[in-house]
Amino acid sequence: MPRIVIDGLEIEVPQETKVIDAAERLGIMIPRFCYLKSLGAVGACRVCAVKFLQGPFKGVQMSCMVDVQDGMVVSTTDDEAVAFRRQVIEWLMLNHPHDCPVCDEGGQCLLQDETVSGGHGIRRYKGSKRTYRNQYLGEFIAHEMNRCIHCYRCSRFYQEYCGYRDLGVMQIADRVYFGRFQNGQLESPFSGNLVDLCPTGVYTDIPARYKVRSWDLDRSPSVCIHCSLGCNTVANARYRTVWRVEGRYNEALGSEFICDRGRFGFGYTNQPSRPRQARVDSRSVALSDALKSAAEKLSRIHAASGPRAIACVGSARNSLETQTMLKSLCDGLGLPAPCFFVNSQTEKAVKRAVASLDERVAVSLNGVAHGDFIVAVGVDPLNEAPMLALAMRQAHRRGALLVILDPRPSFLPAPHVHLGFAPGELNGVLGSLVGKALETGDEGKLPPLHEDFLKSLPLESLFKAPVNHGEELDVVLSALQKSRRPVLVCGSEIVRENTPSLCADLALLMRSAKGQCGLFYVLPGANAFGGALLSGSEESSFMEVVESMEQGCTKALVLVESDPFLQFPHKDRLKRAMEKLELLIVLDHLPSLSAEMSHVFLPTSTLFEVDSTFINQEGRVQWSRAVHEGGIPMEQWTEGNHPPRAHGAIIPGQDFKAAGKVLEEIARNMGASGEVSLSDPRFRPGKGASPLEGAPGDRPGDGMRLIPRESSREPFSAREEYFTFGEDAGDSLELLLVEALFGTEELSAHSPALEKVEPKPHMWMHEQDASMLGFSQDDVIAMDLEGGVVEVRLKVSPSMARGVLVLPRHHRLQWQKFRDISVRVPHDRMRKS
Amino acid sequence: MAYADLLPEEMRKQLIQRIAEGETAREQAIDVMTALQNHFGHMSDQAMLVASELLAMTPLELEELATFYNFIYRQPVGKYVIHVCDSAVCWMHGHESLMDHLLSRLKIRLGETTEDGLFTVLPVCCLGYCDHAPAMLVNRHIHGELTREKIDRILTRLAEEPHLPTGMK
Repeated sequence: MPRIVIDGLEIEVPQETKVIDAAERLGIMIPRFCYLKSLGAVGACRVCAVKFLQGPFKGVQMSCMVDVQDGMVVSTTDDEAVAFRRQVIEWLMLNHPHDCPVCDEGGQCLLQDETVSGGHGIRRYKGSKRTYRNQYLGEFIAHEMNRCIHCYRCSRFYQEYCGYRDLGVMQIADRVYFGRFQNGQLESPFSGNLVDLCPTGVYTDIPARYKVRSWDLDRSPSVCIHCSLGCNTVANARYRTVWRVEGRYNEALGSEFICDRGRFGFGYTNQPSRPRQARVDSRSVALSDALKSAAEKLSRIHAASGPRAIACVGSARNSLETQTMLKSLCDGLGLPAPCFFVNSQTEKAVKRAVASLDERVAVSLNGVAHGDFIVAVGVDPLNEAPMLALAMRQAHRRGALLVILDPRPSFLPAPHVHLGFAPGELNGVLGSLVGKALETGDEGKLPPLHEDFLKSLPLESLFKAPVNHGEELDVVLSALQKSRRPVLVCGSEIVRENTPSLCADLALLMRSAKGQCGLFYVLPGANAFGGALLSGSEESSFMEVVESMEQGCTKALVLVESDPFLQFPHKDRLKRAMEKLELLIVLDHLPSLSAEMSHVFLPTSTLFEVDSTFINQEGRVQWSRAVHEGGIPMEQWTEGNHPPRAHGAIIPGQDFKAAGKVLEEIARNMGASGEVSLSDPRFRPGKGASPLEGAPGDRPGDGMRLIPRESSREPFSAREEYFTFGEDAGDSLELLLVEALFGTEELSAHSPALEKVEPKPHMWMHEQDASMLGFSQDDVIAMDLEGGVVEVRLKVSPSMARGVLVLPRHHRLQWQKFRDISVRVPHDRMRKS
Repeated sequence: MAYADLLPEEMRKQLIQRIAEGETAREQAIDVMTALQNHFGHMSDQAMLVASELLAMTPLELEELATFYNFIYRQPVGKYVIHVCDSAVCWMHGHESLMDHLLSRLKIRLGETTEDGLFTVLPVCCLGYCDHAPAMLVNRHIHGELTREKIDRILTRLAEEPHLPTGMK
């Protein structure tokens, strides 16, 4: 590895490290505008000039354009380099308006910092400045082109990094303009990153615009909980309002970018509709009284009907603290193990995924971005885990072939092969794909167990498939044969329950054939991983809880930050069952039907108000710090007046606790056996301490992966069941309830910013299925179901699977009228409305 | 193809075939826009959308090219577009006073079109005609060794010329 001396300090860095990055490792921040590690170097802004004193280069050079080589001696403080940088900054500032006092970027503006640090404090230029007309770029981002210094970060990020094509650079010379062809909402769901990466205030965040100055904000490292990836963020709050969420670099995840769902989805924490008042039997009471009442009522049922009459349901949006405490409560009181998933099909898939992950194959998001062949099975990256789509695009940019094996129409901002097969066919197609690709390999090279598994793969099923993918399959097969670093991405929502195990087995097989293979699961929710770890070995599904409520066996239900109505297929059935309960306790910070029905309601804190821990889909434990204590936002409390006209000793709307603390107190009030423990051995992977213990300062910045070196699951043991196919489609369509980018995720559904961009409810059908039924694009289809009629607009696609009905669980659509999650909708139950 | 239907059948077919012959559609972008400009007179927003459909590029991607390239006109231009060379060698040979003469004779400012719709004057980076500087280009015809008198002659002839077709031919 080459060594370099920068300002008298020596450092050894990996090959192909830029001088600017080597300096950063030494703690020397060379000024930069166009350079961003994730985007690479272009050498456009000329502000990172340093002087090379010895080595293969001499004189002033751009530090972002030169790779470190042995023998280089560099000075960042040399007079010539300093003068060069000062002049460049002065030129860049010629046309920049002096509007820092009213600019939202002020205080966290790279241009401001570099101008001052570059020694250009006083303007000399007296001429008139170039001005532009701004554009309307949608509901998220305000445009102020006069501030632009033409670094090209935005257009490079937007087009090259993200693959969207509606924002770019126009004009020439000093008229260069960054924007769209015409006014309009930016199409990229990653557009919010422009706010973070613009070195000045051309793009600012609309929800926070004119509301706060950056130096007044409380900031804390946080984690995004709007999908299972757990991208790292910075939360910004002031006056009891969370104003803004920014991306934060995490080396394991490979970028500092986040999607717009994660950036603008935080509104639920500020909403006036957020329930902040504890209630007992519809009376408002103090939280402490409600806690006592909850414990008393639970104890009464515990004594009268026994512990099995109480059911506890958590969710994938619970923090690990909450889930652990819920588990401890159940264990301590002898209750049935808590349930964290409403959809039992998904629960089984998630548990299999969690049991299969181990260090041999697990890869992080950054691992996906570095794969050379990515096949995504039963997952819709852009809609389920948007940053995964971006990681896959980076893999494509490095030369990987992307394959999506999924029944849904596929939207990926990168060229890819989409094989639209129904969920029941995915195992067979994937199995034969891998089987065919490895078949020509050398016999006898694999361990016998692997060899046997390879031989059991169905080589033919791929080609019997009704959809004609002939040419594409040849391309896919040859790419997979050549691949040295394949990555299998596997979903958990619409796949068969054994698909995650199959993917794990195939990953192990490819690993022994190719030396390396990645496995990457996508799970339903920020802490689905924790839920799967803690829901216990006994199979107690939510459906059984419902049946037990219907039979009157379960008399009390505790819902912990969970609203089963959003996921349960039949709303009226669930409502009838819950009405039979003697006691319904709901802990939450979101308004919901469950909360309205509750006998005891206990308000809880959001992510922003308490330190909390989440485990993402690769088993990475990550910590989020509270940014403020919460309470009714000043804006709402003072009705827009500032400063507040009424004063008191108590902060309004702060009578809530973290769900974990609420559970802890209930357990204590009920005299649960012993202290509630957070040091479950499950959370001690190897030698380390439990992630829930220890000071925040001791924790690794990139999180900590909590998976075994080798999974205890026996590989290849269940291969017989992988390739058994279900019943024939017949004259019905298989219902797939799915996630959408905007409009389905529980927390962000309460965000006013996202509400403005979410699409109207719709469902998808293959165009041939639709024409067979006499339907066409944009028809409103009425489905006559067990629980009533669902009316929804139809979209058709030529590339999705035949025989399926894809229905995003839009929060504005009352879709919950199905008998079960896994159902088929007969053709004769659908008509044009 | 909602916008491409604005074109005459024959022209649309020709363009589609031309695009298909290239290795990528993108490489034909300037040629297609030039052809559309010859047809429409200038590249209006609507013409940009026609090009966008034909080339399967976004309007923004085409706008990036159209606004960079001197010979694509995004606004209406006169019957004759005069590109006056704006480079060092022409500067040395009286560019400034010739430009003043041209503009005052036509009673317009740089970038404007005369009231009668005949002439538009635009600057252009080097025409490569330095050995005959100062130079200008009128509807793709190069004129060098310009003098006030020569400019007057050219303008008078063009103003009286009834036969020249519109646009760039």
